[in-house]
Amino acid sequence: MARHFELELDQLRTLLIRMGSLVEEQIDCAVRAISTSDVSLARLVMDRDTKVDEFDNSIDQQCMRIFALTQPVAIDLRLLMAALKINNELERIGDIAVNLAERVEPLAPYDEFVKTTALVAMATAAREMVKNAIDSFVNNDPGLAKAILRADDTIDNYDRETFNLMIKKMKESPENIEPASHMMIVSRHVERLADHATNIAEDVIFLVNAKIIKHHASDIGLQ
Amino acid sequence: MQPETIRHTELTTSPSLADGFAPNGIKMSTTNLSAFFGELQALYDVNMEIASNRVLAIIGPSGCGKSTFLRCLNRMHEVAGGTMTGSVLLDGHDIHETDAVLVRKRVGMVFQKPNPFPTMSIFGNVAIGLRLNKGTPRNQIAELVEQSLKQAALWDEVKDSLDKSGVSLSGGQQQRLCIARTLAVNPEVILMDEPASALDPIATAKIEELIYDLKKDYTIVIVTHNMQQAARVSDHTAFFYLGRLIEFDETKKLFTNPAKKQTEEYITGRFG
Repeated sequence: MARHFELELDQLRTLLIRMGSLVEEQIDCAVRAISTSDVSLARLVMDRDTKVDEFDNSIDQQCMRIFALTQPVAIDLRLLMAALKINNELERIGDIAVNLAERVEPLAPYDEFVKTTALVAMATAAREMVKNAIDSFVNNDPGLAKAILRADDTIDNYDRETFNLMIKKMKESPENIEPASHMMIVSRHVERLADHATNIAEDVIFLVNAKIIKHHASDIGLQ
Repeated sequence: MQPETIRHTELTTSPSLADGFAPNGIKMSTTNLSAFFGELQALYDVNMEIASNRVLAIIGPSGCGKSTFLRCLNRMHEVAGGTMTGSVLLDGHDIHETDAVLVRKRVGMVFQKPNPFPTMSIFGNVAIGLRLNKGTPRNQIAELVEQSLKQAALWDEVKDSLDKSGVSLSGGQQQRLCIARTLAVNPEVILMDEPASALDPIATAKIEELIYDLKKDYTIVIVTHNMQQAARVSDHTAFFYLGRLIEFDETKKLFTNPAKKQTEEYITGRFG
């Protein structure tokens, strides 16, 4: 039976999927802008953040409308709860893309230095986590969501290695201090991307299995 | 075959939920309860335990047997010409081995439509049960009427007009008057058959608040079509469909993560 309520939920899912695609693209562009020192691409990322914010507001309003008018329960309630939280995570991912873009100009004179780091590999892995998190939501796939939780350790290792490498480079030469400082911040931003992807994965598991697993990764056999 | 008692403990795995199910014990229980209207079977082998000092909500689509189940709990089903098999226990004793009038004194009922006695005053409506009950001394009746009206959150609104007709009150007040009438004879269990379905939102809120307060002293079973009302007022919820108990669980569990697909489809409005 087609119901107006189903249409409202479909619209909400569509908004989240479109927002997810946009923030994926924002990450892509931001990382490419850093690795190619493309300042105009970085500016595009910063300008386009308003679109992410518009999605954020639209999704909040859509959730509020559904809560107020339909008092959802069971699977519908969990979808609304997950949508609100995923929306928040995507908005933060969009902000991180902007944070990364803001590092392009100061890092532009140090493009050779950037190439000595694992930034591209780390960012590619983090972006894959974000993409999979969105896919797990679209396909109601808790299996994929669990794989994302496991992948978070890889990004943490990249971040630790980058930090150690940057300390080493700063010790080698004072000229490395400025680019290394920026790269440490960039690495931390990318690490945060993975954390937000992990949060989305936890929301998907809550949505599908009605199981709250955040802070209890051991409960689902991850540890 | 041994009867299968459906309790939320069998539907969940968390022992903490089981511990909290009936902290004050089990007030009523049904075993293989089946109900009939002539040849027509309205209930099929319902096994359930009703916790003391808790609110149990019965939900389900029209004709699922929820009102019939309610009426079986105080032998009103037989008044409506029905028959039943299986057993209904009140504090461990079969209600069919007890005088029906006494059962209905201990298990009171509030109906969908407020039904004050039209020829009686507000006072008289509450006092009637006490007057019929030969054990109540006459000099205590006024005090008990006041106490019942206070418990039903109606005293402040009617204390200056106790001699007016019961039907002069608004719908919501009439329903609380009927609740006061039920409380006056000091029942242990109160059955409510859609008590707020004919009331406006403010009167409904008062009834719901009243239900919440009353569970300190009484065990309450409420039949409702209003899903949100069931979620708001009850501790446990039972979902009936086609005369069978489909799912019985803590309300917070049933409304966030029901175990049965049929329950989920019903409470989310996808069928029924």
